[in-house]
Amino acid sequence: MGGVLIIVGTEKGAFLCRAAQDRRSWAVEGPLFKGWKCTASGRSPSGRYFIGTTSQVYGAAIQASTDLQNWRQIEKGPAYPEGGPRKMNQIWTFRTGKDRHFAGVDEAGLFVSDDDGSSWRPVRGFNEHPTRDQWFPGAGGLCAHTVLTHPKRPDQIWVGISSVGMLRSDDGGHTWLPKNEGVRNMIPEQKPLGIGYCVHSLAQDPDDPDSIYRQDHSGMYRTRDGGDTWEKNEQGLASWFGFPIAIDRRTGTLFSFPMESDEYRLPVNGQCRVYRSRNRGDSWEPVGKGLPDAPYYSGVLRGAMAVDDLDPAGVYMGSTSGDVFVSPDLGDSWQQLPCRLPRVLHVAAYLEK
Amino acid sequence: MARATVELPSLLRDVLHKDVLSVEGQTLEDALEDAYAQLPGLRVHVCDETGKLRQHVLCFLNANNTRGLDTAKQPINDGDTITILQAVSGG
Repeated sequence: MGGVLIIVGTEKGAFLCRAAQDRRSWAVEGPLFKGWKCTASGRSPSGRYFIGTTSQVYGAAIQASTDLQNWRQIEKGPAYPEGGPRKMNQIWTFRTGKDRHFAGVDEAGLFVSDDDGSSWRPVRGFNEHPTRDQWFPGAGGLCAHTVLTHPKRPDQIWVGISSVGMLRSDDGGHTWLPKNEGVRNMIPEQKPLGIGYCVHSLAQDPDDPDSIYRQDHSGMYRTRDGGDTWEKNEQGLASWFGFPIAIDRRTGTLFSFPMESDEYRLPVNGQCRVYRSRNRGDSWEPVGKGLPDAPYYSGVLRGAMAVDDLDPAGVYMGSTSGDVFVSPDLGDSWQQLPCRLPRVLHVAAYLEK
Repeated sequence: MARATVELPSLLRDVLHKDVLSVEGQTLEDALEDAYAQLPGLRVHVCDETGKLRQHVLCFLNANNTRGLDTAKQPINDGDTITILQAVSGG
């Protein structure tokens, strides 16, 4: 039986953390891509792994491997045309599927691959959206950071963009509509266009893909109708502000890491605490046995929290000061891995065969 | 037609699995195009969407920084060394 692999992408490379399925004893390897920002990872159903790398000097690319040891750069990776106005700064996310993969990038754009990630082409309906000239970067850049798909409706795609909002396509990516009704708008002059919302991250309900949970700049929200309408669900949270949201695909349990306001962006009261909801966001509770009790003033970025597929699920997060925390029991107890890494940008969990 | 050497910095060597290329051409532009043809992943790291060198990438021809020069007009000679490296950009 295979163990658990966590890919931790940091400001200066990627690290592979492995444990048996009890998730008690961990080995840390790396860095892969030393010196490169490792901003996203994915695994296709074929077993091919992808890591998004970037550098302030040398730009962004995708590295691919089938064994996590031998990596090759994808030559026909996501790219904006030469001479155009946009820059490819970073791969933000992969959404892999049986026949088709998506990559969300900064500057905000969506790319698709139909050959298991060997070549990527732009999704023009998204990248040339009628509101595109009104998209402006937030503090984290102009990033298309989350892509969701519907397991039974292949033409339905959701994308979250910071400072813009969530857009949905019902026709395979040809046309897109902003879907933010009920969320507090951050840029009032853009409200008539349906944009100017600041989604920080999205998590999709495994049992009902039209139910999506949203950590937004303006609070914690959920939709039950694929984004047509949103409602707040913040009961019990220490703060409505934060970046990551993750979901256990087996039980629908949600996890977040609240931060004190968009002005301070620090853990509330200096406490390293994960918040958990066992009832689809109706209420939240703090969990943190084993997390540091000492004052803690590092954050958890939007891509730096993940949940595995075991029973009970493991929960993983990395901090901006390079700490990696793991829970083998749905957040009840935690341990810190014996390492201090560069600033953690991305965490993903995989079961190895 | 001259034969020159292109040297790559460590970060590019690590992801492209090559640090020295033997290239041919009459000009620096020819030589770089030959390098991009031999190592297709290289161009995206050296040039940005303007088609020119990235802001923090330098290209030296022997001991001379070629930034601002027209690479198409820079002749190369047998034995020249073209070095790609990261600019000292402060910090």
